[in-house]
Amino acid sequence: MSLLKVENLSKHFGSLVAVNDVSMTVQSGELRAVIGPNGAGKTTFFNMISGFLTQSSGRIVFDGEDVSALPATQRVWRGISRTFQITEVFPELSVGENLRIPVEVASGYRLSPWLSRGGEVEVRDRVAELLEMGGLTAKAGRLVGELSHGDQRATEIMMALALKPRLLLLDEPTAGMGDQETYDITKLIRRLHKDHSLTIVLIEHDMRVIFHLADRITVLAEGTMLAEGTPDEIANSEVVQAAYLGKAAA
Amino acid sequence: MTQLLFFNVFNGLIVGAFYALMALGLSLILNLSGVINFAHGGFLAIGGYLAYSLIPYIGFWGALVLAPVLTAFIGILVERVLIRRLYGRDPLYSLLLTFGLAFIIEDGTRFIWGAQSLPFQVPSWLVTPLSDDYFFLTGYRLFMVLVVGIAVAGLFFILNRTRLGIRIRAGTLDLETVSVLGVNVRLLRNMNFGLGIYLAGLAGVLAVGQLGLQPTIGASLIMPSFVAIIVGGLGSLPGTLLGGMLIGVASGITTVFFPSATEAVIYVMMAAVLLVRPRGLLGEEGRF
Amino acid sequence: MQPADFTKQAPNIVVWALLLTMPFWLSHVGGYTELGSQVVVLGLAALGLNFLLGYTGVLSFGHAAYFGLGAYGAGMTLRYLLPSTGMGIIIGTLIGTIAGAIIGPLIIRLRGVYFAMVTIAFGQVFYFIAFRWSSVTGGDDGLTGWTRLPLHLGFTTIDIQNNPVAFYYFVLVMFAIAVGIMAWLLRSPFGRTLIAIRENERRSRFLGIPIDQHIWISWVISCAVVSLAGALFALLNNFVDPRALYWTQSGDFVIMAVLGGMRSFWGPLIGAAIYVVLRDYLSSMTENWESFIGLFFVLVVLFFPRGVLGIITRKVKS
Repeated sequence: MSLLKVENLSKHFGSLVAVNDVSMTVQSGELRAVIGPNGAGKTTFFNMISGFLTQSSGRIVFDGEDVSALPATQRVWRGISRTFQITEVFPELSVGENLRIPVEVASGYRLSPWLSRGGEVEVRDRVAELLEMGGLTAKAGRLVGELSHGDQRATEIMMALALKPRLLLLDEPTAGMGDQETYDITKLIRRLHKDHSLTIVLIEHDMRVIFHLADRITVLAEGTMLAEGTPDEIANSEVVQAAYLGKAAA
Repeated sequence: MTQLLFFNVFNGLIVGAFYALMALGLSLILNLSGVINFAHGGFLAIGGYLAYSLIPYIGFWGALVLAPVLTAFIGILVERVLIRRLYGRDPLYSLLLTFGLAFIIEDGTRFIWGAQSLPFQVPSWLVTPLSDDYFFLTGYRLFMVLVVGIAVAGLFFILNRTRLGIRIRAGTLDLETVSVLGVNVRLLRNMNFGLGIYLAGLAGVLAVGQLGLQPTIGASLIMPSFVAIIVGGLGSLPGTLLGGMLIGVASGITTVFFPSATEAVIYVMMAAVLLVRPRGLLGEEGRF
Repeated sequence: MQPADFTKQAPNIVVWALLLTMPFWLSHVGGYTELGSQVVVLGLAALGLNFLLGYTGVLSFGHAAYFGLGAYGAGMTLRYLLPSTGMGIIIGTLIGTIAGAIIGPLIIRLRGVYFAMVTIAFGQVFYFIAFRWSSVTGGDDGLTGWTRLPLHLGFTTIDIQNNPVAFYYFVLVMFAIAVGIMAWLLRSPFGRTLIAIRENERRSRFLGIPIDQHIWISWVISCAVVSLAGALFALLNNFVDPRALYWTQSGDFVIMAVLGGMRSFWGPLIGAAIYVVLRDYLSSMTENWESFIGLFFVLVVLFFPRGVLGIITRKVKS
């Protein structure tokens, strides 16, 4: 069953065409990688799906519902949650507080002036569970701003996960990381995908990560869709190689 | 009635021209440096008082030329010593700083020149009415409109045709890129501040001929200038100009029909604009 | 009590101890009871502003409008409507809060300096109404011909009209209720969403927090507290004039919050105390006190941007 269906999506900034007529269907439970050279329009594409930008034309259908016109917050409420290329967290709050906020929002407490005893227990348990899952339990009391890049990224992913999303959008989760950190994050994503059968769409540059994780790959170049297929198909695609190698040669 | 309406519309245009001149300077500084200059009214007063002190030596015309330039120099100095330190910090701090400066300048002018309203001499041939029927059409008023027109034209010429102006506009759009391209952003902001203050000084010299000279003259003009910027559209200088003229005329017309709402009407206009078009009449989308 | 709890509670204990005993020691350090009441009232306004400024991260420069509406609401209730101090406070607070709630939707989409500019400009409407509508408001001369009245509680009567100490404690009770509600809210899930918005608006939006709605609620709460302070201010002076609504008054509240420390709960109260005492002293010493207040603004911005409590917390932590 398809969870996300993007139809003929385009975005213009003045005369610049950032994304041009891209369509994509993601099945429930799938892990899809979106790749492409710099400036291919990947982040713009993501920003339209999450509601950060409004598309110039085209439709976004999530779980059978047209969400094209919905503001970002309402897409979050329907189950689309995301991370950013440059990690967006609450640096001056502790890891625990960073997770507690989305947990409370997801449990419907965002406007509550108080928490019942039961609510408090529920929130605490859920935070502990997320800390555990992200390997952050030992760092729960530390300020996020003081953590390593990898731990900040892990916190951000767990924050997105705290919302109990049905679709997780990850924008370059391993950007700017060393080998060990890249490995840890890849492992985390893989676990979320396998153990929780979460549908994930990610933008990534690191080919090792992509081939390790992705069920299917969508290739964008200069705003248009170049190819789509399984990792093997993409690896052997001449069009894709031409696009990448052509860039590298030029 | 028609004559009264015409009188007030004309009056409104003149007042609007002041608002616009003030607001253009405020806008320049706000757009490039992200600073709301509460002391702008103070600089206007400085322009007026400097002109008052200069007239006995160099006459009205000399003062009209020199006083705004001197005011701009004071502005450049203040930017160098104080305001510059706050760029890149929470905008709250530059707000508070210029707020404090406004107090200091107002009290300072009171200390130097006294609290009472001072007589301000404009050349007598400018004061005589041009027509018996339209007694309010004095040469001075037409002259003011002319000077404001020249100043605004000059400003847009600078912004569109000179290197400094083009850099200011580019910096307003994308300061980082301009800085990477090798433009000295500190100097650019400094000059831009000076330009904004020059306009305030010029408005000061012109305003005192119309409103009289007292230390609070600036404080009474700054709020309408804010409204002009908001109505015209944040980030748009033509919008600011339009906003200034519009609110001037609107309060002029209101004076005829409902005098006690003369001041309040411009805020009602602001509320209406924010309700219908939050970015202002000529504001760009996504500027704030 | 755990030692850790004690360090957390220590500031609260000190503040409340000082506030509760103020009438007994204030005169020994050169003050007088009305000055103490003034500190508590303006401190309440600064704390109310800081709910928005320090805890939601939204820069309002126009809170004098709601302070003044609270003041005029209380004064006009007593002057024209009915002789009840309690009703004066309730109506004054309601008027300021409702005005804030109505203006809110027009401004909450703006951010940063633009928000500041629009809030301050809106404040001026009320100033001009108070100034021009002199048949009702007394215009520039202010609203006179009324006083606060003793409180009739059924079983007893408290003479807050003639006994300044009784009035001080009455003000302190109002202060305690408002401050208690704010402190409680800041520790609630709702309060955490406000801090989230302050820390990172983009992240908050993509955690499913509707930013505009939460800022609007925070704004209304903040306006409500400031209106209450305004109502108490009118009762304190038995007088209101348009200066309570003027934009420079808004600047005073902001400087109080910054001076004391925006990021600490009690900071604005400390700031209000310093500011009120300083202004009282300066205005009795020199005619040019406005220059000194202006200079004070400049010095605070340049040398104490974190405020008194901000500096102390930093020292304690390091």
